[in-house]
Amino acid sequence: MLDLLPEWMRDGLGDDAAFWIGYLTNGKHLAWYASFQFTIFAALIGGALALVFGLVGASLKNARFLPLRAVGDFYSAIVRGVPDVLFFLFFPLAFEQTVEWFVSSRVCTPDSIAASVAPWPPCPQANWFLGTTEYLLLASVSLGLVYGAFATNVIHGAMRAVPQGQLEAARAYGFSAAQVRWRFQIRQMWVYALPGLSNVWLLLVKATSLLSLLQIADIVLWADRLGAPNFLPAVGLVHPDWRWRYYLALLVFYILVTWLSEKGFEALMRRAGRGVLAEVRR
Amino acid sequence: MEVILNEILRFAPAALFNIYFAAASIPIGFGLAILFAFGKGSKNPLISAVSRGYIYAFRGSPLFIQLFMFYSLALSMNISTWKPMGIDWLVLHPLFLGPLVLVLNTTAYTAEIFYGALRAVPHGELEAARAYGMGPWQQFRSVTWPHMIRLAWPAYTNEVVFLFHATAIVYFALPVIGEQKDLMIRAKEAFERDFNAYLHFPIAALYFLAVSLVVFFVFGRIYERLVRHLERAPKIRFSPKWLR
Amino acid sequence: MKKLILATAAFAALSMGANAQETVRIATEGAYAPWNFLNDAGEPAGYEIDLANAICEEAGITCEIVINDWDSIIPNLLAGNYDVIMAGMSITDERLETIDFSDNYFPPDPSKFVANAGADLDFSDLSGARVGVQGATIQAAWAEENLGDDNTIVAFATADQAMADLAAGNLDTILADGAYLQPVVDASNGAIEFVGEEVMIGNGVGAGIRKGDAELLETWNTSLAALKADGTVDALIAQWFDGAGPFFTE
Repeated sequence: MLDLLPEWMRDGLGDDAAFWIGYLTNGKHLAWYASFQFTIFAALIGGALALVFGLVGASLKNARFLPLRAVGDFYSAIVRGVPDVLFFLFFPLAFEQTVEWFVSSRVCTPDSIAASVAPWPPCPQANWFLGTTEYLLLASVSLGLVYGAFATNVIHGAMRAVPQGQLEAARAYGFSAAQVRWRFQIRQMWVYALPGLSNVWLLLVKATSLLSLLQIADIVLWADRLGAPNFLPAVGLVHPDWRWRYYLALLVFYILVTWLSEKGFEALMRRAGRGVLAEVRR
Repeated sequence: MEVILNEILRFAPAALFNIYFAAASIPIGFGLAILFAFGKGSKNPLISAVSRGYIYAFRGSPLFIQLFMFYSLALSMNISTWKPMGIDWLVLHPLFLGPLVLVLNTTAYTAEIFYGALRAVPHGELEAARAYGMGPWQQFRSVTWPHMIRLAWPAYTNEVVFLFHATAIVYFALPVIGEQKDLMIRAKEAFERDFNAYLHFPIAALYFLAVSLVVFFVFGRIYERLVRHLERAPKIRFSPKWLR
Repeated sequence: MKKLILATAAFAALSMGANAQETVRIATEGAYAPWNFLNDAGEPAGYEIDLANAICEEAGITCEIVINDWDSIIPNLLAGNYDVIMAGMSITDERLETIDFSDNYFPPDPSKFVANAGADLDFSDLSGARVGVQGATIQAAWAEENLGDDNTIVAFATADQAMADLAAGNLDTILADGAYLQPVVDASNGAIEFVGEEVMIGNGVGAGIRKGDAELLETWNTSLAALKADGTVDALIAQWFDGAGPFFTE
């Protein structure tokens, strides 16, 4: 990396600075920087899914049909009642097993089941290979499911906060029930939901630090491997335990993301709040 | 059925670790949070800035990374600081360091809740108290505190439940000593032996749900006492606007 | 949903064929130098990575190295997320109950204790000591059984993390593979030294392969035998373990 700089810049840097720049841009560090993509991907996809699940959950909770309402209530209550990390570990594993169970009912023969010695899957042919991509997608979906349950509550509350008079007026103008819901209730709901959704988003962002628990080589795993003490010159730079410095860098990264998100949501609030009653814009 | 009961019994000792982590950190966090809430509202710019910065940093970063960082940081100070003081056996023990980081974490979240409540304390009542010639401590005792705690209680209940949930990641970041394993480590180990995801994780979840319900019940009772003088007592809810 | 299952079934059918074009996935920990580690370029490197590449070349198969945490490395092999473990894993009777092992590619190696220089430890009757191990290793099991009653056994996710705690004085001693500790002791300029007696656990290091994957096991053993015979294995050991050996040739 350092070779890319013109010579006069390299000379001006001095040996120390040049050494550190070289160290911080070696392949291992570049791999660390590149692994931020997993975190960002999981946050964005997880966030989008959380919004979708939140809308679905809130619609279920508003449904007139009792079983649907029960499903909505169950989803938002149970998922919020257990730790996010538990669901985050459970969902990908359970999903994989369910898929493998379906596959096994098609491809496994009694012979192949009898011949299999592994506790799972029932026969080797039913195995579903999970690589980083698959785990990342499953992780995003489970983030979406967990925080979708929180978003369900936020959106449910916000939909009820839309003044009834507005909806009645829309109905009086002859809009259909679906039109009232989509064009008036959901469109006006945002201004009430945004503060809560911003909270959910910040929770979700922080939960992306758990990706390494699903064997994704994310920023936390690289921080551990980079910071762990090294005694052998053959491995790379010999250094003592530097882990807390790398974790501090991650801490700063997350604080920055939080700060940026807050600014973003403030701007959104200003946009969404245009033309709406002043008291909801606080 | 018997399998499930056995599993529940097997996980009971592990649940104690999660309960210990939460029980050890919640009272201390409660006390510190009051200080930081007043600190954030303080007129002294230095105190206010420090409190603000502390609350922002701990609310803005994941607990998982805080745990990793504080363990590594404590380790790097071991020879220079903890050893000469003779407390190295304590500082680096997960049963101490875990609650310590949880305290730092929950203090920040709770302080933010209390700060919000402080700002909602009716001004007129404070003025009335001053007019009666009350000193700062008396003002706090008879006006600020009762209002603050009542306004903050529903949100604080949520924070307690969230903190209990957060204990699930302590042992993913700290070393495990002997058989001191919490619900998550037990569930993960059990899963890695027999791959029965549908048994072990839901049982662990059951414990978390059960304790959460107990917390809601107990804190709900306390809340009823706090608001018993109000004509239309508001109900406590696991509500979105009180999210961490 | 349906589409997904079909796609999976197709994949399963493909992997049944076990043709030469298929990629064999080899899992390693990447935190156990010089066996396996992530080098400055951020890529897996070390004795086992070189050996794995040699084996795959010898057998004419395509291989891919994946990094997996140590404590879940056997469960994820069983779950089919990769096909082979080459992660400095000792062959033991207990592990043989769940997975198969290839012939060893590193001879039985005594486990050793290390401590900071000048530590005063009485190994004839060790008590009250904090003993660091890597979780889910043969040393962890041995320490729990033989030292667990009178000492505190602290389990870490990686051996490097245990080393950090020893260097910072949070552990009295570490029990680990001799071949892992030797370079650390050599490089420490006397700060870390071997203490106590060696313990013989395990039957050498081999590649872990799912039970029932007889074909793959066969491939591994055949290639390994050829590489042992032509001196490649010994040359790699000498290269990575500071001239140790030769073990597999005269």
